[in-house]
This record gives sequence, C-alpha cells and structure tokens, in this order.
Amino acid sequence: MNMLGLIFADKHNNDIGELTARRTFAALPFGARYRLIDFFISNMTNSGVRNIGVVATTKYESLMAHVRYGGEWDLDRRKSGIIVLPPFSYFGGEVRYENILEALQANIAYIRESKEPYVLFTCCDAVGNIDYAAMLEAHVKSGARFTCLCTKNPLNKEPGVQTTEFIVAPDGRVKDILIHDGANGQTEGAYTGTHTYIMGRDDLLGILEESIDHKKTSLRKDVLKPALNDSKVMAYVADETLMFIDSDASYLKSNLDLLNSDIRRELFGQELRPIITRAGNSSPAYYSDDSVTTNSIIAAGSVIEGTVRNSIIFRGVHIKKGAVVENCVINQDSTIGEGAVLNYAILDKDVLINDKRLLSGYITHPFYVKKGAVI
Amino acid sequence: MARKKKCVAMLLAGGQGSRLAPLTENVAKPAVPFGGRYRIIDFSLSNCVNSGIDTVGVLTQYQPLELNDYLGTGDPWDLDLNYGGLHVLPPYQAAKGGDWFKGTANAIYQNQKFIRNYNPDYILVLSGDHIYKMNYDIMIQEHIDNDADATIAVMDVPIEEASRFGIMSTDSTGRITEFAEKPAEPKSTLASMGVYVFNTDKLLAYLEADEQNPESDNDFGKNVIPAMLAGGEKLHAYLYAGYWRDVGTLSSYWSANMDTLGDDPELWLNDDGWRIYYRHDIQAPTYLGEHASLNNCNVAAGNEIDGHVSDSVLGSNIIIEEGAAVKDCVIMNNVVIEAGATVEYAIIDRDVRVCEGVKVGGPKETTELTVIAAGETVGGTGDLLGRFCAGDGPGDGANERKEV
Repeated sequence: MNMLGLIFADKHNNDIGELTARRTFAALPFGARYRLIDFFISNMTNSGVRNIGVVATTKYESLMAHVRYGGEWDLDRRKSGIIVLPPFSYFGGEVRYENILEALQANIAYIRESKEPYVLFTCCDAVGNIDYAAMLEAHVKSGARFTCLCTKNPLNKEPGVQTTEFIVAPDGRVKDILIHDGANGQTEGAYTGTHTYIMGRDDLLGILEESIDHKKTSLRKDVLKPALNDSKVMAYVADETLMFIDSDASYLKSNLDLLNSDIRRELFGQELRPIITRAGNSSPAYYSDDSVTTNSIIAAGSVIEGTVRNSIIFRGVHIKKGAVVENCVINQDSTIGEGAVLNYAILDKDVLINDKRLLSGYITHPFYVKKGAVI
Repeated sequence: MARKKKCVAMLLAGGQGSRLAPLTENVAKPAVPFGGRYRIIDFSLSNCVNSGIDTVGVLTQYQPLELNDYLGTGDPWDLDLNYGGLHVLPPYQAAKGGDWFKGTANAIYQNQKFIRNYNPDYILVLSGDHIYKMNYDIMIQEHIDNDADATIAVMDVPIEEASRFGIMSTDSTGRITEFAEKPAEPKSTLASMGVYVFNTDKLLAYLEADEQNPESDNDFGKNVIPAMLAGGEKLHAYLYAGYWRDVGTLSSYWSANMDTLGDDPELWLNDDGWRIYYRHDIQAPTYLGEHASLNNCNVAAGNEIDGHVSDSVLGSNIIIEEGAAVKDCVIMNNVVIEAGATVEYAIIDRDVRVCEGVKVGGPKETTELTVIAAGETVGGTGDLLGRFCAGDGPGDGANERKEV
C-alpha cells in the first residue's frame, strides 16, 4: 500500500461532555466491546494501510493502553506499524493543538520520514466500515489534489453541533466549503464532511512548511477554501453507513443503531473487512434461569440475571435479579443492583447502581453516569 | 551463575483421544473446544502460568496441525518469552534415526535436551486433556518440604470408580507404599490425576533406565512410577480436593461442560483469581433478537440468537433462528440451528447446520447423548439424526459409539 494513515484521536471542534472527560475521543467505548479507534485502525488495515500514526494531545492513557503495538491488527511489524504520537512543543508552538492543520504541523517529522506517496488523515467523528482503498482509487483516478470524504446521510448528527459541509458540482468537484453551527440541520443539497482527507505526501509537506511560516492554523479556512479555485478538490461520497457521535444523545443513538441488523451486518458481518479490537480474556456471558433478554447486544464476561431490552451491554457487566435495563448503554464492569430500573441511561465504566434505584433519561437526553460512580 | 528455571512443565498432548470420537477425528484432544471459548489444553497451560511456571514443553504427536496453530507462539498465555516460554515438541529425526513417541515416558526421554536447556530443579509432568484449576506451586512446595524424589497428585474417588484409575496406597506421612494401575480390587481410593513432580536428575536417570529396558511400554503409570517405588525412592502423594475431570469420554466431556453453568458453578470460569487464558478469534459481540430467551446458559461472542436456549454452553458464530429450541447442549463454533428446529441433550461439533424444523436428540432422562460430527448438515426426517450417537450413559465410562 502506498498510503500513510493518520488518525486524530481528539475531538477538535467540540467535546461530548463527560464521556470524554477522562479519555480522548478515540478511546470512547462503543458497541459492547470496541473503542472508536478500532473502526479507524481496522478500516485502514482492511484497506491495505500498513503505517499508522495516532495523534493524541490529551487524556491518551487509555488509548495507548488499548492500541499498544497494534498486535491485534498485525501492525507489530519490523518495517511498518502503528505509533501513538503524543504532543510536544514544535517550532515554538503550543503543546496542545486544536486543529487538524496544527496537529499535522506538529507531526511533520513523522510524515517526512514516511515513504508512502499518499497520506490519509481522519478524525474519529463518523463511525463506519469504510473502504479507504476505494477512496484512494477515486483520488488517483480523478487526479485530485485533495479528496474529502463526505456523506449524504449523516446518521445521528446532533443538531447544534458545528458541521463541515461541501457544496459539490455534478462532476464531484467541491464548489464550496461551509462551516456552520449546525443549528438548522443540513444545508439543502450539501454533503456532510467527516474530516477525512487523502492527498499527496509531498504536497502536504509543502503546505505544512508554508503554513508554519505564515502561522496558518485551519485546514478548511486557510488551505482548502483558498485552493478551491485553482486546485482540484474532490468530494468522495461514501456509500457506507456513517454514524456520527457528537453528543451524549448521538452516542446513545449510534450504539442502539447496532441493534438494527442491516447496520450490524454492514459493520461486523463483512468477512474481508473485520472490525478488530483488543480482546480481553473474558469467560462466556452467563444468563441465569431468571434472565430475560431481547433485542440486545451482550458482550462476553457479563452475568445477566435480570431483564435487558434494546440495550448494549459491555464486558464484565453484572445485571442482578429483578433489575430492568432498557434502551441503555452499560459500559465495562458496571453492576446493576437487584430491582433497579434503568431507561435511556449511559453508564460509564465501573459504575455501581445499588438495589432498587430508578434512573431514567430520554433518547434525546440520556441519563449519564460517570466512571466509577456509585448511585 | 548460569541462568536456570526452578521448574519446567512437560505437557503430554499427543494422545489420540479415540474415546472422544468424533470430536477428535481431525483434531488432537487437547485442542477440542470446551466451555464456549476455551480448548481443553487452556486449563493446564493457564494453571502453569497462574502457578508461576513460565517454561512449558508441549509434546504433540496425533493430529497436531490445529493444536500447533492454536498454541502459536504461546502469546495468549504470556508464554512468548525469550528465555523459557511455550515450546511445541513434536517427534523428530536425529542422526541415529528417529521414532514416534513410544509412550509418555519416552516422549519426555526424547526431549531431555529441551529440559537441560533450562537446568530445572523440578520437572512437572502434566496431561493436556484434563479440566481443572490447580496451583502447582503449592504441590511443588509440598514436594520440597517432604524432601521427596517424586510427588503424585491424587484425588479421593468413590471406591466403585477406583478401578478406572492408577491407585496409590500411602503410609501415615503420605509416602506412597504401593501403586496399582487400574486394579481390579483397589486397596485405596487415592487416584492419580496424571500430575507429577519429579526431581530432575532422578527422573532423567529413571527415564534412561526405562529406555534400556526392551520390555517396557515407556509409560509413567505402568513403568516409571513402579520402577521408582521398587528402587526405594521417596514418592509422595499430594492430595487435591478441588475440581478435576478427565474428559476422556463423550459423556464426561458433556458433564464437565455443564459444570460451568449455574449461579454457583462447580467449575467457575469467570474467576478473576484464576483466569483461564485462551486464543481469540475475531468476533463481533453476541446479538439477542426479539424472540430470544436464554436461561442457565454460557454464551461466547459473535452469535445471533433469536430462539430459546436453556441449560447449554454455546461457542461463537452460532445462529439460532426464531422458534428453534436448544436444551442441555454443548454447541461449538460456526453452527446454524434453523427456525423451528429442536436440539436436546446433544454435543454439536463445529460447522454444523441443523435444518428447519428438524429434531435432534431428546430429553436427557430418556434419550442417549447425541453427537453431531463437525461439518454435518442434519436434515430430512426422523427423530434422532446425526452421524454418531454416543452410547455411554452419564458417568459410567462405557464408551462405545454406534453409527446411526
């Protein structure tokens, strides 16, 4: 493969509240046994990318512990592999970089040392089983300078969260780039961007050197928009389902969307494009004589003695007798006490809900319980 | 001081396990799946690493391909070490010719060089086909405290079952005075578990002598232990009271799987104090559909279940369609139970499809255990289908099988 992969672990333009209070966005647990970064690493390795840099500036301990040497993805090779790139002061700049362009500038040495003629760089905003090889093929075929991944159907995009949109000509060329607050949803006829781009490595290095000299900080405003007139900036419209995660509510919705068999099959059912994660060493899940379980995803290592409906249950969760869990995401190693009732709740890791507690949110306003909390 | 290991474990994994057929038709018994996520050998290997033993030779012979693949570099057990770790030891050709392993003792005799690399004080000999959780370090410490030449782990078994085992008689200090392999009239109820600790020099000397004896079967139980007793060596019994099962027959294999079920299981797999480690496949989490019900089940990952499952152990990548019912079963990976099918009191090997509406097996009170061999498609008509049907009732160890 002739493409370098770069993954930006942080959420650059907004935070999603307490879920990312103690972990970088890419380390967010998702889908009963994954973290968001699993999708991006797997998509890259499934597309033939063999060198991957993960750029993280804050709260990256759980991310590094998860990715390690990338052995699960066969990335622990001598000649290639995966590296987490923590922040450092560059050219007198800030240690914490807020924008994609700044993050690229800070890691210019890593890009310079790579041999691949193309660079793919992406944020972790939109989760899917994405074929980057097809995107590269389109990039090469069109002779574009920049190719931008976007979608017509941004699933679970939260209203009011800043959005990048592309106005695209019938030939696929980007005519305009809109950055708006998302208050009114999608602009008519526009495609929603995912912060995923492919471009030539030498071109990127030139842009980075120039932008460092001129203290430019925004990829979209300082690089892409000015290039629209005299360079070929192409939109690559994804066929894939892309689920956005930009709020508590969209986190809950995107998790619960995995209960849809079409989405589940697209994400996890493709033999040649598996989504891989770092496995724990859980025993099988145990369902007691009293368990009632419908329309749910339940990971191994959990113990189910109560009722679970329309929910996503991570590894090592214990749901005790008489507890009722509905429309919830219950993260790893949490315990739900006897007779407790939970509806539209997101429990972070290691939460203890005592017996007979009642917790209820709504699909648009889930009840979030932070890591390690006791209720 | 030269580098050395306190103890090297030698794990006997070459047996055919013919009484477990058809499960062992294409795979060595230690590599037979167990408990939804594990292979039988995971228990011995995990016991080793949990006991602080990081050097393990796995002696393979029968159908080693899948077992070798599964063991790999030993990384699932953290046995991928630069000095020590897991080593697969197959039979080999040498300058003076080569041979298959003639018996359990000969297998270790042929791999003395491996043992000497680590200059261990003790050799732990294990079988790769037992299901148990045991801290070998406690046994080794007792061996040291007794100043013994060999220590054999024993269990107290019911007298009526004693003639199936190697039986020890001991004096009041636990020293073994007599050993009888499968005696018709057992003098004691202390049965060998096939777990031995030897002082290295003593074992190697007896293996050498055993090799020179053309009459010998080169077997630990039949030859080496009796020779050591006759030679006046100090052999001790180590009484073990925990869970231990020889899953040598289809019914004992089924029963041991069932022992992992219940709110307080006899064999607790979700035990953070004694993890059983295994090699992972790539799997999505398990999805339970609108019509699913699961009661008293252990279920691994990657399944899509929309039917009724009770009192069963399920592996991975299993599809159980709406209206299908599964009870008292062990189901291995990549199995499809189509809509309306019922499967009761059965072992379903890998890559099996049970077609729509088909009935396999029957109530365990009135029906013999049904076993469906790997790769079979069960369709058509009839109450009891499948290539093999085990003829052994629970617990009796008789193990004929008949074609159906």
